[in-house]
Amino acid sequence: MRNTAIIGCGQTKHSSRRRDVNVAELAAEAAEAALLDAGLSLKEVDAIVSGNMQGFGGVAQPELWLGDWIGAPGKPAIRIATGGTTGGSVGQGALYTVASGMYDVVLAVAWEKHSDSKEAGATTGLSHVAMANLFHAVNYGLSFKALIATIAVGAAAGVASYQARFYLHRSGCGIEHLDMVAAKARRNAAKNPYAHLQWPNCQPEDIAKTEMVAYPFRYGHICPASDGASAIVVAEEKTAKRLCKKPAWLLGLASYSDEENQLQSESYGGVGVIDPSEQMGCRLSAKKAYSMAGIIDPQKEIDLAEIYQPFPSQELIFSERLGLFDDGAAWRHMEKGETDINGRMPISVSGGVNATNAIGSSALQRILEAALQIMGKAGEHQVPKKVKKAIAHGWGGLTNYVTVTVLGDSPGS
Amino acid sequence: MSYIKDVRPETMMVEGNWAVGYYRYKAPRLLEEFVSGLKDKKLVGSLCLGCGKVIVPPRNICGRCHRRMEERRVVSDWGTITCFVYTPPVKRGKYVLFGLDAVEQGVFKEGEIVIPCFARFDGSDSNVATLLLNADVNKVQIGMRVKAVWAKELKGQLSDLEGVEPLEKQG
Repeated sequence: MRNTAIIGCGQTKHSSRRRDVNVAELAAEAAEAALLDAGLSLKEVDAIVSGNMQGFGGVAQPELWLGDWIGAPGKPAIRIATGGTTGGSVGQGALYTVASGMYDVVLAVAWEKHSDSKEAGATTGLSHVAMANLFHAVNYGLSFKALIATIAVGAAAGVASYQARFYLHRSGCGIEHLDMVAAKARRNAAKNPYAHLQWPNCQPEDIAKTEMVAYPFRYGHICPASDGASAIVVAEEKTAKRLCKKPAWLLGLASYSDEENQLQSESYGGVGVIDPSEQMGCRLSAKKAYSMAGIIDPQKEIDLAEIYQPFPSQELIFSERLGLFDDGAAWRHMEKGETDINGRMPISVSGGVNATNAIGSSALQRILEAALQIMGKAGEHQVPKKVKKAIAHGWGGLTNYVTVTVLGDSPGS
Repeated sequence: MSYIKDVRPETMMVEGNWAVGYYRYKAPRLLEEFVSGLKDKKLVGSLCLGCGKVIVPPRNICGRCHRRMEERRVVSDWGTITCFVYTPPVKRGKYVLFGLDAVEQGVFKEGEIVIPCFARFDGSDSNVATLLLNADVNKVQIGMRVKAVWAKELKGQLSDLEGVEPLEKQG
């Protein structure tokens, strides 16, 4: 692979209701900001990769009408949709395209606009996704009681609550540690002007006061449904060095799927065959991406991680699966403040997905935020330590799909 | 930014019918074997000759070995809880699906705590997502022994397995 870097980052302000713009305008905001940051005009962009979560907002093929708005006319364009991981795949799509030598400068744009659908949050989109999963079971006599119990513990939250329960049981982590992670996400978000749930000085006690939704999750643990978009400009070495003082270089990337993590999938197979906090897809993605990046000991060599953690338990689970901490030990390190902005291993210092979740955009934001930290452009939430190597993680698909991207302050080869 | 327009009013709503019954999603053929087993209170699983795992309900291909799972095994209807979550006390109007309220339909009682769980039936290596019934949530533990609760009238469909309950009565 040839040397490839992120040279421009742009994102929109995230909130529950960006009623001032439509989907195309929202995506355009991020795309324009990224180009401005890179110091490029659209003329110099060779190709475009875009995406949001399929079916969300009730829009089936948004790429067919917002192309004009993000500068796609006359350029090769690809849409990628991999569920919750979409942003990670969109970012990796752009990185692959440049690293392969196919194009020199590629713009990646990802977005989500929940407020366009009537129901709060992701309900409309998720019912599209869940339909095929549940309807065939209804044909085989799934009772109304079982169906409504599934929905009672929440859709994505339901999957994550089982996953959290497994993790709590095997690691000894308590619900109070989930309060700590959520409070940290909201505190960090207060330092990030683009984040959604900003709560300066939020303490675990504040989260602990919120209502229990489905044990072990409280209301305060759960991510918001945000409107927002993010974009990055990816370039090959010559352009990157010409335009950018401090690009974020691609060192390694991988995405693996592990269908046995699924609960009830379309095939009615993989009914939680293994522990859903096992996340083999994440282990494999990390292993592959680290070997590309020449990382032998992630605990020592990685300076910062942006983890896709819509639920606080996932920050702990994935930080272990990414090899940043030993198995079952993440909550102990978090408790000591090691994952804070000024900690030894800062995690999701942007507030992460727990504070801002524009689903299709969320995993691209992880790549973007990791790049900002390397470029030294994160502003108030810039970590004090020098960031040489950072990782960005994405999770989703049908709870089974993971992307891992390793970025660094110098080219890989 | 020049693209941004004035604030728009609420999203417009259009009323209509969604004929959900017209969808023809198909489950794998093995699910038919599974539901016909339920009629005889049998939990049918498939055995992988590659890794020796028994998966309930049965599936055609082992996810780990990618081998055809041609062998069948009937597993015990006793098992162990591997995971559980629970809802706050159920309230009227809180859990509504297709316009049907769970309390009004008599599915859940007002104030009831619903405990969805994973049960691993003895002789199997997979978790079945089901409901934990007749249990006190304060006494439920991971690793607790349970047995299947069968419907009074068995019809050869998924609802025949109503859930699981503790082996020892909880008072």
